[in-house]
Amino acid sequence: MPRVKRGTKRKDRRKRILLLAKGYYGTKHNCFRIAELQVERSLAYATRDRKQKKRQFRGLWITRINAAARAHDLSYSKLMAGLKKAGSDVNRKMLAEIAVEDPKGFATLVSSAKSALGLAATARA
Amino acid sequence: MSSRTPLPKLSEISRRWIVVDADGKVLGRLATTVARHLTGKTKPIYTPFLDTGDFVVVVNAEKVALTGAKETDKKYRRHTGFPGGLKETTAGKLRTSRPEKLVEEAVKGMLPKTKLGRRMFKKLKVYAGPNHPHAAQGPTPAAIS
Repeated sequence: MPRVKRGTKRKDRRKRILLLAKGYYGTKHNCFRIAELQVERSLAYATRDRKQKKRQFRGLWITRINAAARAHDLSYSKLMAGLKKAGSDVNRKMLAEIAVEDPKGFATLVSSAKSALGLAATARA
Repeated sequence: MSSRTPLPKLSEISRRWIVVDADGKVLGRLATTVARHLTGKTKPIYTPFLDTGDFVVVVNAEKVALTGAKETDKKYRRHTGFPGGLKETTAGKLRTSRPEKLVEEAVKGMLPKTKLGRRMFKKLKVYAGPNHPHAAQGPTPAAIS
């Protein structure tokens, strides 16, 4: 069998992996055999974390909305129930943003939720 | 208005000083409120990787309430690192020797066990008696349920 060399393919592959490994700690950014392992792992983390990002942000919005709502003596769950009853379709992301940037607007939303809950309570009694 | 979740800069975080009177308050219930203020979860700009919390001054720590038989039964343990070096005191003894420690330990347990958590803890100032030296910071009293 004649010897077959891979031409530029080998160099291209190594270059691509090492490019992805830029900024990694220690030999992970310049030693191909170690960088390859880390790049594979990092890409897997990135795939997982793109999904987790959505959950984590939702959690953060809820924490923030809760903080803002409790300043108006209303818990997060009561606020969401009230808003739903009031027919508001402001989502959690928008609510959290309003709570930070526009406290007055948030107060109006809270009062609408409160009145919706108050009406529901009297209707049931 | 930006369409992104706002993240505050460190310079944008305003910190208040809060005074809490521990007299007659149940220790754990007091500690949850204090911990919430220290972490910043009382503010809509709460950010998990930043310390957005307020300073909390606790006075009358020696008069904090414990329910049940905790005065004699609740043990505070620590290890010196030497063989047989496990030290033990009861809550009642700690109340007479270092009443601040009661509140500090309770709050510390409710903060994150991270570098950030330890930094948050430094904003807690506990005093055994009714006086505190933080009048210059203009602390406002906070309601504890």
